[in-house]
Amino acid sequence: MNGANGASLVADGGVVVEARDLVLSFRETPALRGASASVQRGEILAVMGPSGSGKSTLLHCLAGILVPDAGEVYFDGQRLDTLREAERSRLRRERFGFVFQFGQLVPELTAEENIALPLLLDGMHRDEALRAARHWFELLELDGMERHRTGEMSGGQSQRVALARGLVAHPDVLFADEPTGSLDSLSGELVMNLMTRAVRERGTTVILVTHEPRVAAYADREVIVRDGRVAAAAKVPG
Amino acid sequence: MIRLGLRLTLGSGREAALRVLITAVAVALGVGLLLAALAGMNGLHAQTDRGAWLDTSAQGVPPGSSADPLWWLSGTDEFDNQAINRVDVATTGPGAPALPGIAHLPDPGEYYASPALSSLLKSVPADQLGNRFPGRQIGVIGAAGLPSPNSLIIVIGHTVHQLSKAPGVVQVAAIQRTPASCYACESTIGSGPVLEFILAGGAVALLLPVLILIATASRLSAARREERFAAMRLIGATPHQISVVSAVEAVVASVVGVAVGFGLFFAFRPLLYHVPFTGSPLSPGDLSLQWVDVSIAVIGVPVAAIISARLALHRVQISPLGAKRRTSSRPPRMVRIMPLLAGIGVLAYFDGAGKPGAIGGQLLELLVGFVLLVVGLVLAGPWFTTAGARLMANRGNRPSSLIAGRRLLDNPKAAFRFVSGLVIALFVTSAVIGALSSIASATDTGVGGTGLDTLAQPFCAFSNSNCPASSEVPSVPATVLSELRTTPGVRAATIVHQSPSAGQQWNSSGIVACDPLARTPAIGKCAPGATAATIGWFFTAILGNNPHASTTTWPSAHLSAAEVGKLPVDAVVVATDGSSGAIEVARTALEAAFPYQGTPVTVSSLGPSTARTLTMIQDMADVIIVASLIIAACSLAVSVAAGLGERKRPFSLLRLTGVSTALLHRVVALESALPLLLVAAVSIVVGLVSAALYLHSQVGIAFSVPGVGYWATVLGGVAASLAIIAATFPLLDRITGPEVARNE
Repeated sequence: MNGANGASLVADGGVVVEARDLVLSFRETPALRGASASVQRGEILAVMGPSGSGKSTLLHCLAGILVPDAGEVYFDGQRLDTLREAERSRLRRERFGFVFQFGQLVPELTAEENIALPLLLDGMHRDEALRAARHWFELLELDGMERHRTGEMSGGQSQRVALARGLVAHPDVLFADEPTGSLDSLSGELVMNLMTRAVRERGTTVILVTHEPRVAAYADREVIVRDGRVAAAAKVPG
Repeated sequence: MIRLGLRLTLGSGREAALRVLITAVAVALGVGLLLAALAGMNGLHAQTDRGAWLDTSAQGVPPGSSADPLWWLSGTDEFDNQAINRVDVATTGPGAPALPGIAHLPDPGEYYASPALSSLLKSVPADQLGNRFPGRQIGVIGAAGLPSPNSLIIVIGHTVHQLSKAPGVVQVAAIQRTPASCYACESTIGSGPVLEFILAGGAVALLLPVLILIATASRLSAARREERFAAMRLIGATPHQISVVSAVEAVVASVVGVAVGFGLFFAFRPLLYHVPFTGSPLSPGDLSLQWVDVSIAVIGVPVAAIISARLALHRVQISPLGAKRRTSSRPPRMVRIMPLLAGIGVLAYFDGAGKPGAIGGQLLELLVGFVLLVVGLVLAGPWFTTAGARLMANRGNRPSSLIAGRRLLDNPKAAFRFVSGLVIALFVTSAVIGALSSIASATDTGVGGTGLDTLAQPFCAFSNSNCPASSEVPSVPATVLSELRTTPGVRAATIVHQSPSAGQQWNSSGIVACDPLARTPAIGKCAPGATAATIGWFFTAILGNNPHASTTTWPSAHLSAAEVGKLPVDAVVVATDGSSGAIEVARTALEAAFPYQGTPVTVSSLGPSTARTLTMIQDMADVIIVASLIIAACSLAVSVAAGLGERKRPFSLLRLTGVSTALLHRVVALESALPLLLVAAVSIVVGLVSAALYLHSQVGIAFSVPGVGYWATVLGGVAASLAIIAATFPLLDRITGPEVARNE
């Protein structure tokens, strides 16, 4: 099937991330009440739903940020929710990438240093990491912004830097939580176009939380979360 | 507006309460330290005031006084390296002035001793101490006359006939009640001007970091506060209204902080009595607060907090959007280190060109050099911070050094500001300790152990050019020499005679026969074949006056031993085995045999009052080093806490992506420790270098690196500072947890 950019199809590489009957409460407030979902390798999955429905909580469980009270989470066939925090942290660092709504860049660092950060964390030499980071500037239409810092970039530019940082270490899965939530429609479209192009080229799986149908249209498939359950799964219209 | 300010400060949920609490804790810490410093100063003044009466002789008789004058002779005795203040008095009538702590002046043959000296007199054999003091003890000196509970003081009564002939005796009509302005005062604490100078230096060195801490604390969470104020401006609040709200918040936090600070001070005051401010313990009640001190804390701190908060608000008043573009400030330029280099240049120039002849020239060199150095260090601080941060950011291969380095480069002036209080404290203390250790080293190398084993009683004529003829010692009785020579541990007793040609010039030479001189090697030797030698000043003094006596071959005097023996006596020199017992028995025998002639001292030791002043300076320097490092670390910890608030979101999102808390700890540790360690290192190096240059050019003493004690103090202070910085890690862990990122 075609995504909104019409560029690619869901790769049939088997399930890479799966949630089974997840239950999670924050004190007395239930957030997930038996949510299940699975994502194919190379697929872009949009998780939609109204505010407070539990879609971000579901994403955080799938990424190993939160541990569900009940249910199971699998990544690449491995049980994720039973791993210790240190192991989950390592998995997030090495296998996952993240893009959030805003405020994720380290303000003291330049754009290229922000992008290189995951590589430096992996122990890559500084020069090599910066070289790899610079490669993304042309790809994401950020030429000339290498030495700029958060305060010197627009919201859309910052999000593209964050996107590059999420993808620079070639993660298996990119978790994107409202990546265009703080952007205007034009900037949002640019970010989504660039993101889908980049992940398609690399075969990266994307789990994209959004409440905007316009953004969800870039996905291969969407699921809708309501009251802590995955209420419906649908193919995104081509 | 005030009510709204109170509502926003106190009723805005946990975060606002936490912010007020943290600010209050930091202010409390600053106020506690401020009160401790002020009380410490008061304690020192209380000690000097109680010891002022010991300097009475410096004042003489005021003209036109109608009171019966008191004959007064004060001096410093010594026992086992402890100084004893000895006052000899004789009354001329019932109207003689009373002494503090003593009900009635002692009559001839009576004495009063301080409690500590009384205990010592009871526990030590009389031939080592008690026999020095004629008469019997009739009472104990009360607390009003004791600078410190462990002060060793004795007041001995004499007849007017006896005392009026003693060298150095004066008539006094009133007892000194405030510290005297003299350079030869005898009080246990030190002379007035010297003490005032030391106190002022110590206070500035200590108070500056405290003030910086308070200012830092009052600007805590500035970013979040500005965000809120910007939102208020957006909906129409005037800058004045914002100022009021901000002032209310600052005042609430600082008032709570001041109250807690007083609580901390009173809770820990008993422990403060153990801090060696002067080397002598303080008496109960000494660490009191004056109304001025209380006013400074109660009014000054909240006012300072309001001013600091107002200054911090500038940005919000300019832009209701409150959006601050994060751009790098212009990096500090090389020109900032010029004054520092100029200061070193001034001292180096005088080192090369020799010391200025006039006292004014020497003072000018000292003043210009040291002012340039202090100003230069403060100006150069951001430049050094930038250089270190740039090195760390550009050369380091780890993300932690990159983030920390960039953070410091972002605003090196702010990073330096938090530790700038250290500059003066560490520079001053390092220069002082560098000078003291060099002086100590210079005095040690001259005579070494031999000098410490050898006791000398320099008589009035030898040591004082104003000595009256009546106090001349024609000869040493054979019984005294015999007693000395039969004392266990005494190896030899040598008599130094007056030189017939020396006249009255200071630093005069004496004559000594070569046979006895050979048995007291600490004071030098004769040329081969000589029968007598002309011997010069052989004591070690503070500025290295003849530190090489033991290795000196004195010029020959063309006199026979018999001719030498007929000359009046200048000094008696006793060589011992170095045991405390032998030295004190010999000292006691000499003092008993030659009353009013001063105290015999070991040849290589500094005078007891000089040694005491040096010890006091050293103790105070140690207190300042440790305290200033800890206070600077508190400022840093507060600024770290504030910085974490600003970076809560990026840090917590980094943690979400798998970054370990250890890495964030390293970031915080590096960006705090780098300026602290850099400033400490530069201040210490500049302090020691300037001490070396000054000593070499002015005093002619070679510099020697301070001993282990100094470095242990510095390292201890640095370790405590780093521990305080590490104390912010739990806060970092808590405010960057995944839940925080989710709920932001």
